[in-house]
Amino acid sequence: MLLLSIEVLPNKQNPHRALANNHDMTNRLFNPAGENCASLRFSLFAALSCLLFSGFRRWLFFFFRSRLAACNLAGLSLCILGLPALQSYAADYVATEQVEARLVAGVDAVSPGAEVYLGVHQKIIAHWHTYWLNPGDSGSPTTIAWHLPEGAAASDILWPIPGRSSMGPITNYSYENDVTLLTRIKVPDNVVVGGEFPIKAVVDWLVCEEECIPQQVELDLVLPVVEPGEDLGQGSELVEAALARLPVESPWPVKVFRVSDETLELWLEFPNADPATIRDLWFYPNEWGRLKQSSPQTYEVFPDGIKLQLPAGELIPAVGESLDGVLVLTEQGSSGDMQRGFELVVPVQAAALPGASLSFALALLLALAGGVILNLMPCVFPVLSLKALSLVRHAEHSATHIRNHGLVYTLGVVASFAVLAFILIALKAGGAQIGWGFQFQSPLFVLIAAYLMFAVGLSLSGVFYIGGSLAGAGSGLTQRSGYAGSFFTGVLATVVATPCTAPFMAAALGYALVQPAPKLLAVFLSLGLGLALPFLLLSYWPGLQRWLPRPGIWMERLKQVLAFPMYGAAAWLVWVLVQQAGADAAAIALAGLVLIGFAAWLYSVTRQISTRASLFGSLGAAAAVVIALAGGSALRAGSADVPQIAENWRPYEEAELQQLLANGEPVFLNFTASWCISCLVNEKVALKNESVIREFEEAGVHYLKGDWTNRDPQITTFLSRFGRSGVPLYLYYPPNKDKPVLLPQILTPDIVIGALRANSTAISSSTDFTSGRN
Amino acid sequence: MAISHIAKLFCAGVAMTFAAAVAVAEPVVGKPAPTFEAKTADGTTLNLESLRGRTVVLEWTNHECPYVVKHYEKSGNIPKLQKEAAEQGVVWLQVISSAPGKQGHVDGATALKLNEERGAAPSGVILDADGSVGKLYAAQTSPHLFIINPQGILEYKGGIDSIKSAKEDDIPKATNYVREALNALAAGKKVPHASTAPYGCSIKYAG
Repeated sequence: MLLLSIEVLPNKQNPHRALANNHDMTNRLFNPAGENCASLRFSLFAALSCLLFSGFRRWLFFFFRSRLAACNLAGLSLCILGLPALQSYAADYVATEQVEARLVAGVDAVSPGAEVYLGVHQKIIAHWHTYWLNPGDSGSPTTIAWHLPEGAAASDILWPIPGRSSMGPITNYSYENDVTLLTRIKVPDNVVVGGEFPIKAVVDWLVCEEECIPQQVELDLVLPVVEPGEDLGQGSELVEAALARLPVESPWPVKVFRVSDETLELWLEFPNADPATIRDLWFYPNEWGRLKQSSPQTYEVFPDGIKLQLPAGELIPAVGESLDGVLVLTEQGSSGDMQRGFELVVPVQAAALPGASLSFALALLLALAGGVILNLMPCVFPVLSLKALSLVRHAEHSATHIRNHGLVYTLGVVASFAVLAFILIALKAGGAQIGWGFQFQSPLFVLIAAYLMFAVGLSLSGVFYIGGSLAGAGSGLTQRSGYAGSFFTGVLATVVATPCTAPFMAAALGYALVQPAPKLLAVFLSLGLGLALPFLLLSYWPGLQRWLPRPGIWMERLKQVLAFPMYGAAAWLVWVLVQQAGADAAAIALAGLVLIGFAAWLYSVTRQISTRASLFGSLGAAAAVVIALAGGSALRAGSADVPQIAENWRPYEEAELQQLLANGEPVFLNFTASWCISCLVNEKVALKNESVIREFEEAGVHYLKGDWTNRDPQITTFLSRFGRSGVPLYLYYPPNKDKPVLLPQILTPDIVIGALRANSTAISSSTDFTSGRN
Repeated sequence: MAISHIAKLFCAGVAMTFAAAVAVAEPVVGKPAPTFEAKTADGTTLNLESLRGRTVVLEWTNHECPYVVKHYEKSGNIPKLQKEAAEQGVVWLQVISSAPGKQGHVDGATALKLNEERGAAPSGVILDADGSVGKLYAAQTSPHLFIINPQGILEYKGGIDSIKSAKEDDIPKATNYVREALNALAAGKKVPHASTAPYGCSIKYAG
């Protein structure tokens, strides 16, 4: 009763398969997974790696096919050793010199209409690799041609997360050691119950170390057909493991911006990521030419997300085109690194910030030009015309004197802008929470921008005047003759210019805000220089005056007209907000705008009554603005992507856990942290999955969650009991057990449900026990 | 808001200027192909510039690579193409960038003998054991092909054909991009697929 096994290939992982005996066959009866069957291997394969289908092999299979067929029938638990062959043989295992290939199924049987997973498992010898969907600079992806009973349909290969290997200037996207390529198969409705479902896969791959060998194997598997509704069995563990390696949909928004012709920027909007735990972040494009494989992809962690720079290839997607691929994040876990893949189909957008793609020199130039344009704004022009221009016009002084006034005025402007820049730098340094990385994607920011646009509009409409008192104080100073007067005229020009900058300076400001301090300062100084430039020129060449438009009522009209683009911008921002944060955001934003309008009116009207009224008015206006902004925080909390459902967990408390265990209750423990990306993916993908929630409910499982975001010492102690120094950690205490089952770091719904079911009865428990609680 | 549009225009202009400046890093279709001087299998030195006035094909190769075998021994596809090219007056140069000790590295005599055995008829074989020409062109695979027009402008870069497999059965079904490009150039037309994905074994550079 021995199965012939001529073992030449070293196979340390499966030593029990080296010699198959009766005991082994018995095992197969109870472990009917395809992988345990037909473990014939031939030394010939090593010698004839490319001639897999020699006549000799056919003969051998013919000779032993009765046992192989019996083995496959084991799934029905009807197998009698030596049962005569019923159908064709099944060789679910073939080895070449570099790759051992095995055809496995996620089930032990199929039923009419069922959808099942099949997998081609490749075990690759050290240092060699086979290729992913996009092989990279060279190589070729594995292909599988399925030969299935009529009416059955196979999906494309479901590619697990790839790795990358580089040799000199060539980078490949590939798999090393082992990989299971899954395919979803739809069983037709008309298969005969009680019959067989034969599967044949012709698999072509290229396996390379430095040299490459194309290989082809043919794998067969026969699954019995059972009644619909009957248990299809567990199938091969390889399929479950492979499912955990498949990329998932990203639970966080991902955006891709084309910042230049050479660079794309990918933003994963995951807040609070901890740069220390991120080991690697890489985007694998599905198609050749999208990116330069060999150029490094660098990432940066911001308070509100992670930015990945992608060097574009020949076929850089245009704005509006989609970038497809897999974003793979490697994160330090509690027991080794964890990998998560996010499947992305992202339309490429134009640069996030109007100015994000500017070069430094261009930003300086634009700031300068913007500064010049500011002079025409109604907030600035009167100051210049009434104060400064008069200085030039009625100059009784020497030309040198006037020039000096021009220079001092310039100094006043530039110094004021320097102060503004330093305030911003201090804000950035003091509160990294400003998180300029994503400001235009943050609903709160969009809301504030809408308020600001509306407020500027109100000011332009004449509802109120910003900085009136400052301007008043400033006018006092500017009345002074001499250089001090000129200097403060410059300061005043800056102060009154500030409200006008918002709509005009978007590009330069957008650029400056994401830059390091020296560059930010330079852009602001350039802006100031631009503002001062016309007056400086006038002071040097007074003849230029006649080119200036005369101040008049047209300026007031212009100002009023300019209010409407501001209202338009506010309306547009509210629309953007609704796209980002749902319909409730519209209510919050519109109510906020009403409050802003009220604040503006109150501020303005009380100023005309008395100083005291003015004080109350200002306070009231400030309160209204605060309330409007507070609405924004509600917006943030309520803007979660998933509809809020009643939570099925409670926070972990050691005392409660002990109480529950003492009562023999089943408990599921989840130790997580808000900066642990994989933990949160596991929650979204598996623990918040409907079928898992239902399973928890039906089994009466108490779900406790320990939040280790702030390194809670109680949790640290608990983790250390399991030899862990970090999260995630998933434990399941079956009913009436005080020893938990340890779940892997990467969860799928099937893994969680499987762990619950396998351990739901008191008898069970062969799975993955850890040292118990002490 | 107008400023941001102007900014974008400015920005595009600046980006293009930079793109032109860094073009030397990797050959770009429509731009001058990088020039080089290299040793050939028959012991002479060849300067690419000396071939101005003629269309030149550069074919990275490695006789042991299964993808090269597909297009040589198994099908005669590339040898046939080399002959067609020669008839059109095109200079066809094989480039061997395999480093010493690595797959596909050969001396001049062996390179010539291999071609004779395989019925291949390139105009010459460039021996690039240090990989300098390969890296100049960012050659990635064997085969990887480049076509340079008589003015020295790169007209094509990419794979030999459209089906990325090691199976010779696929050759008749595939679009041969190199033949297509050479015919287009001969007819004074634009090359239809000027940049395609190369496929094959990686170039066995040193290090």
